[in-house]
Amino acid sequence: MSRKLIGAIVALGLSATFATAQNYPAKEIQGIIQWGAGGSTDTVMRSVTPHAEEALGGTVVMQNMTGAVGAIALNYVLDAEADGYTVLMGAENPLLYKIMGLGDEDYSAFTPINLLARGTPLLVANIDAPFDDYAGMLAYIAENPGELKVGATGPGGLPSVITAMMNTVEGELDVIAVPYDGDGPALTALQGGAIDVMPAVLGAAIEGVRAGNMKPILVFDTETNATLPDVQIATDANAGYETYLPWGPFFGVFVKNGTPDDVVAALTVAYAKGAENEEFVSLMDGRGFTMMNISGQEATEFLTKWQQGTAWLLDDAGLTKASPEEFGIARPGE
Amino acid sequence: METILAILTVFTQPQLLLLVGVGTFAGIYIGAIPGLSVTMAVSILISFTFSWDVLPAISLMVGIYMGGVYGGSRTAILLNIPGAPSAIATAMDGYPMAQKGEAGQAIGVTTVMSFFGGLIGILVLALAAPFVSEFALTFQPRDYMLLAVLGILLVGSLSSGSLVKGIFAGAFGIAIGAVGRDPLTFAERFTFDFKIMEGGISFIAVMIGMFGVSEALQQLQNVNMKSVRQKIDRIVPSFGTIKKFLPLSLQTSAIGVIIGALPGTGGDIAALMAYDHAKRVTKNPEVPFGKGAMEGLVAPETANNAAVGGAFIPMMTLGIPGDAVTAIMIGALFIHGLNPGPMLMVDQPDMFWFIVGALLTSNVFMLIFGLTGIKIFTKIVEMPRSIIIPLILLLSIVGGYAVNNSITDVYWMLGFGVFGYFMRHYGYPLGPVILGVILSRLLDDNWRRAIISEREDLGRFFEGIVTSPLSLVLFISVILIFVSQTPLWTSMKNRLFGKAMS
Repeated sequence: MSRKLIGAIVALGLSATFATAQNYPAKEIQGIIQWGAGGSTDTVMRSVTPHAEEALGGTVVMQNMTGAVGAIALNYVLDAEADGYTVLMGAENPLLYKIMGLGDEDYSAFTPINLLARGTPLLVANIDAPFDDYAGMLAYIAENPGELKVGATGPGGLPSVITAMMNTVEGELDVIAVPYDGDGPALTALQGGAIDVMPAVLGAAIEGVRAGNMKPILVFDTETNATLPDVQIATDANAGYETYLPWGPFFGVFVKNGTPDDVVAALTVAYAKGAENEEFVSLMDGRGFTMMNISGQEATEFLTKWQQGTAWLLDDAGLTKASPEEFGIARPGE
Repeated sequence: METILAILTVFTQPQLLLLVGVGTFAGIYIGAIPGLSVTMAVSILISFTFSWDVLPAISLMVGIYMGGVYGGSRTAILLNIPGAPSAIATAMDGYPMAQKGEAGQAIGVTTVMSFFGGLIGILVLALAAPFVSEFALTFQPRDYMLLAVLGILLVGSLSSGSLVKGIFAGAFGIAIGAVGRDPLTFAERFTFDFKIMEGGISFIAVMIGMFGVSEALQQLQNVNMKSVRQKIDRIVPSFGTIKKFLPLSLQTSAIGVIIGALPGTGGDIAALMAYDHAKRVTKNPEVPFGKGAMEGLVAPETANNAAVGGAFIPMMTLGIPGDAVTAIMIGALFIHGLNPGPMLMVDQPDMFWFIVGALLTSNVFMLIFGLTGIKIFTKIVEMPRSIIIPLILLLSIVGGYAVNNSITDVYWMLGFGVFGYFMRHYGYPLGPVILGVILSRLLDDNWRRAIISEREDLGRFFEGIVTSPLSLVLFISVILIFVSQTPLWTSMKNRLFGKAMS
């Protein structure tokens, strides 16, 4: 008993002093999920992590920490030691915290371990909506200004970005934005007729579309989507979308900057293996997510590009609290 | 025939039967401990059962869900700390019964009625799921708002003393619920620029503090008072008793199923509405409500367990979660390679019937586990105060911490505990505070959604209410209940009926 105790104390001491790859992980790793149980981020993280654990030879205890659009979880990981034992499992939102006035930190304080996959935005409509395609919808908005109800999930959410994109490309659309807590409740409301159209991530809407409970209107991508080959893509509908697409929410695993390089390397290898797992890949395909599985420099570049594009799009639409310029976020292409 | 086989899958594999049993047993205890929630347990299970097959994983989750909803009543009756939000109403009459030495009887009735409510919920799920989910989808934001207003009006039946004090407590609860970043616009409300306020105040922490800590402080006043001897005969309610409550329990089960099936409302609201309903329809209770009325146990307990079956209705038919637990189960199905959505019923009807079977089995296990060991549990109430008070405090602190693994929640919990103590001291009821917190967001979000949808035009808003039958029914109910609670109505009633009598 006492020998075990001494062993535990020694192990604890060791892990605290030399967090090296030889003994990493020496204890349980805490995985902080930014979003609630049952949501997309939660599901993705809970499906990939067991495969990564196998490659890592350790345990990752996942915990949902919600609130303030994920800022609570982000701050929690930032407050923890940079030893690789507290890992952030998040989505795209933190890249917009600064310009939205939601916090002073974003992923620039983190080292990306793996950006797993990105989602494709899809515009869906209530099954009884008086139009069947994108052109029809635009015509309807023109004829009935201020009548079409579009679902939203708050500033900085996917619908706000897509709506900003549409307003920029097509000129101001006179619609009503009705806010919901997330795409789940909004898609429920869409099926009940409380809203008419909703920009959602393809994965969230796909089952409803397959069952014929909602109409797909437009896929926000530059290429035809394999899951919905018959649905028009945005760049075909209006070439103006080419400036902003491809765009989509993404899921990633992060550690705080300053984490020892060998620990970052061990985690990167583990999650890259996890993301290659066949089961996980087919799961993601089935939900219409595009696998990325990128890390290191490639991931950092992706984050920078994403932040620049989205931040300026929202700023031009007048949706931001502070200009991206203030935080040194350059205009894309500059 | 295939349907029956699918329902009976649980019995063909001893492993599944065992898992449902283990899940139910664990659920009862998880539910009984405040702060440990079914939602939390099920989300941990997702990782834990990752490598399992889908059927065993679902069996365990279903068991925990069913057991957990019932388990919340245990601590509510014995210690006046609801183990879960859905057991708040149970504490209001359950705890007074325990104080009179009838804890055993209270648990007995609760168990049998939870079983009954659960059964009704499952039957509706099995027989009418598509119809109920279609009905649930027709609820528009304005209907949710009216439902929340209807809920707020329960303040009247939750405040035993002064109505004014009840209204104050309810309004206070609504304000607590509004603290933090507004989820629709992310604007900060009542945060006073404090970072810890941004995430809002955990409603579970408020509940544990108000009920648990304030109870412990209250008991400090008479530490040396002898505890009540518990009568432990007649634990299982007689057939006559059950028969007497049959009409009421059918009505409250119906409330439970519908509220449970609505995405956005769950067992907590169902239980409170059922309690209010019981108070309204029971003309002459043997014991007054709030003092240990059996009806006050029957109603919430049937309703919250019926809400379990209800919550599965939109989940199984549309892939829309009926509450937080079913939201996680949808995630679990997805991880296990199924595509939860409207096509699940068509592509894999066996899965639907398997869940119905597992729910039924779990419901039976709940009855068995619930009725055994009651005698040992009632001993808790007989313990001397000097042991019970630290026990309540310990349970409250552990529970407060467990909600989010955050020490801030413990501070909130203790703060609200002390505040709750003074509220009690000055005769302010605590029930309405919790009611306010629960309904705050439902009311606020849906009111804004409703009015935004109508271009912020009140005229169009009322036009919507009048033209939709569902909204109209809800609106008229709101008006009628409101009027029936005003002093004007009481005096009018007295004049009218008083004359008729003489």
